[in-house]
Amino acid sequence: MNASIIGQMAVSGALMGLVYALIAYGFQLTYATSKSINFGQGELVMVSAFFSLTLTNLGLPYWLMVPGGLLFGALLGLVVERAGVRLALEQKGEGWILLTIIIGLFFFSAAENIWGRDDRPFPTPISADPIHVLGVDITRIELSVAVGVLAIMGLVELFKRRTLLGKAFEAVSADRDAAELMGISATRTVMLSYGLSGSVAALAGILVSPITTVGPTMASALILKAFSVAVVAGLDSGFGVVLVGMFLGALESLASFYLGSGWREAPGLVLLILALALRPTGVFGKATIRKV
Amino acid sequence: MKRILLLRGAELIVFALLATIPLLVVNPYALGLLTLLAIYGILLIGLDVTVGYLGQVNLAHVAFLGLGAYTAGLVVTKLGLGMAPALLAAMAVGLLLGGLLALPALRLEGPQFALATLSFSALSTTALNELEGLTGGAQGLSLSRPPVFGYALTPPLFYWLCMALLAVVWMLMRNLLASQWGRAFEALRDSPIATDAMGVGTYRHKVAAFALGSGLGGLAGGLYAFNFQYLQPQSFTYDLMIILLLGVVLGGRKSLWGAFVGASVIVLLPNLLSNRLLFQVFSGLGFAMALAAGWRGLMKKTTRPFQALAPVAAMGLLVVGGLLVENTEDWRKAIFALMLFSVVVGLPEGIMGFLALFLAKLFRVPHAPLPEPSDLDAVLPVRAADGSPLLVLEDLKRYFGGVKAVDGLSMTIRSGAIHGLIGPNGSGKSTVVNVISGLYTPSSGRTLLRGVALPSGSLFQVAQAGVARTFQNLQLFGELTTLENVMVALKGVYRSSLPLVLLGLARTEERRARADALALLELIGLKAQALTKAKDLTYGAQRFLEIARALARKPDLLILDEPAAGLAHPDVLQQIEIIKRIHQRGITIVLIEHHMDVVSELCDTVTVLDGGKIIAEGTPEEIKRHPRVVEAYLGHPPQTETSGGAEPLPA
Repeated sequence: MNASIIGQMAVSGALMGLVYALIAYGFQLTYATSKSINFGQGELVMVSAFFSLTLTNLGLPYWLMVPGGLLFGALLGLVVERAGVRLALEQKGEGWILLTIIIGLFFFSAAENIWGRDDRPFPTPISADPIHVLGVDITRIELSVAVGVLAIMGLVELFKRRTLLGKAFEAVSADRDAAELMGISATRTVMLSYGLSGSVAALAGILVSPITTVGPTMASALILKAFSVAVVAGLDSGFGVVLVGMFLGALESLASFYLGSGWREAPGLVLLILALALRPTGVFGKATIRKV
Repeated sequence: MKRILLLRGAELIVFALLATIPLLVVNPYALGLLTLLAIYGILLIGLDVTVGYLGQVNLAHVAFLGLGAYTAGLVVTKLGLGMAPALLAAMAVGLLLGGLLALPALRLEGPQFALATLSFSALSTTALNELEGLTGGAQGLSLSRPPVFGYALTPPLFYWLCMALLAVVWMLMRNLLASQWGRAFEALRDSPIATDAMGVGTYRHKVAAFALGSGLGGLAGGLYAFNFQYLQPQSFTYDLMIILLLGVVLGGRKSLWGAFVGASVIVLLPNLLSNRLLFQVFSGLGFAMALAAGWRGLMKKTTRPFQALAPVAAMGLLVVGGLLVENTEDWRKAIFALMLFSVVVGLPEGIMGFLALFLAKLFRVPHAPLPEPSDLDAVLPVRAADGSPLLVLEDLKRYFGGVKAVDGLSMTIRSGAIHGLIGPNGSGKSTVVNVISGLYTPSSGRTLLRGVALPSGSLFQVAQAGVARTFQNLQLFGELTTLENVMVALKGVYRSSLPLVLLGLARTEERRARADALALLELIGLKAQALTKAKDLTYGAQRFLEIARALARKPDLLILDEPAAGLAHPDVLQQIEIIKRIHQRGITIVLIEHHMDVVSELCDTVTVLDGGKIIAEGTPEEIKRHPRVVEAYLGHPPQTETSGGAEPLPA
């Protein structure tokens, strides 16, 4: 087999994997503050992408459309938190799993009916011309995905470390009760995390749409792989999701090449079940001690 | 008696009615719907095992339906076998793959379990699509119903077959879920740690529950294949899974009737969506129900505002949407979502949970009567206590990273003693208990019970070896009644094998278990609350119940982890009384406690820990005066004596 083809597939796959990493990072944000994740996150990615497409079609320039899309994503995140998560958290139950699935289903149906069932192209000012790096072709769009993903993750991490609000976020993540006693509202912090997580999902949608096109089912495969990445890396390691995301992206790109495109999803799913069986806290996650 | 008559009567009437329908009605469409009702009934009873009893969001059930359907289809088309082997194979595939999936999923809870099952589902769809040589891939697989005993199965005959299977499944599952197995499933949901610590074994039961549910999914899949006679991988995807969850949750969890109601809803849904008038009537009814339930909940202050208002908003959206939207079929997913949302938030017990209460009042269905308690001497015989060493700890250590929580502990607990274990916060008391009871594996050292090494690192095996414990942070099975909490842990009563339990031939031991458990409740003074859910007991009663449950293990050694923590003074006195009563039956007790008066009153010997090491041992009086104990608790050596006692006192 030609080594350069393998290298090409691995690199494109890994860049695509960064999108999984970004969605997985969205899971981490909410998991940190509330130990819950949005099972309908894929629908957030998809609906935000559709909304951004509408903004573009309305004539908004790309650089205004992006913040608009992020804001919309944050709004959807807040809706999910209010309708699906808060009550279950107050009852200390796991009702949020089912409720976030349900809300995702509602968003899906709404998108299907508002924007239609067909896949549509997503215009972008970034050209699709490839650049040659070390014998491998990388398109500018792929590059923009990588830059966008790393930039927003860096920004959120900076926010968490450098601002007072960010420190409140970290405090609630570390110990919800203690943070409450220090006068930090855990409810608001959870809202913040869901808003951020929604924005992150929206950005993932905006970045990936020029490659995959926009359609109601655009995120159904994405989300499964994001789940895999989040679980394999561990739900508390931002660094881990980037590594695992790139690894998984490369792996599935090679799998679809050797086994046929129908098996594209398989490595991620197998990895996920294996990781859950062997190391439920993830490769980069911290093991916890059971206390009674 | 009246209860049994009413309950069994209702089942008989419904099944008899369903069985006679093909004789009265010849409408093939209605018959098709009823056949589907039977198939979905079996499917949902299976799903309810994991979703209701185990309390996990299971997203793999639709995969077992699909795998079962394809198995049956392939057995008939490729192997040329008949219907019975095909159905058996479909069920076997469900059981087997369910068991296999449960093994890795075993340690998982909540979201991780949901993710594991979701991935399995997606994998199975991929496999069905891609293994074209076998399944025909997206082209689908056609099959025909093979004749049974030479008779071609006409639609009414096939309908009767499905109904008969539903009735059989119904009876077997009713027996199983009302037995120790059903209780163990529920215990597992409420507290896996306590389930292990009560010697019930989370491992076996979780795998069994999941395999069983999946097996029923496979069986339903087999029937599905013969019903539609054409299979496609797209039929078994996430969309159908959501509808199945809707069925279980809407019908009512932990209820065979709930599964039946849920199946009816699923079968009727397509008609509901295609008929505009019907849809408006039903959404209007739903809105009215949400409004009434929400209003009632708000007035009685039993629900939070969100719980009352959100379903009203969702159903309101459904009504308004129904008027605005051109084609309700297009919005079917949103409609499911709104319905499911309203039920999950506003009616968590489902239709049957709500209806069961109402019907029980209407027909005055009495509770099952409680038997006379067994003789306590038969349940918990008085044992001879000879003061010989019962539990010996040999240089026990447990480190967490650099923290030496237990650092070289050697002590002996004598048979028949109440041995106190005290020490300041962080002195390692709880870690000692967790190491002895098997929650933690020791870093080094041994624990010997009557000279035999206790298994290390397994709550379940230690419980089996004869050590029972209570938990400082209560680990009761909240959704089970007080009586059932004790029955779950009861040792030496359940002897019948699974087939006997399924056939309902284990009633005698079930009666005995109730009587025995009642005797233990009488011992701790909770007999009157036998039928109250554990989560509804007062805090004090919950602490007492923890002890009764541990006693049901009939242990050689009982470890009480802060049994008086947080109790009001009268409850502390009662707790002391209870512990004395247990002691009189010759059970050796290790008592971890902060209340010095409790320790003084009860203990023969007290060991004091500080920094993971023993600093003193002796009678309560000696301990109180011991300089190192005073120093450990007060932070400075006593003024009156010079602190010379660096060595622990000899016991």
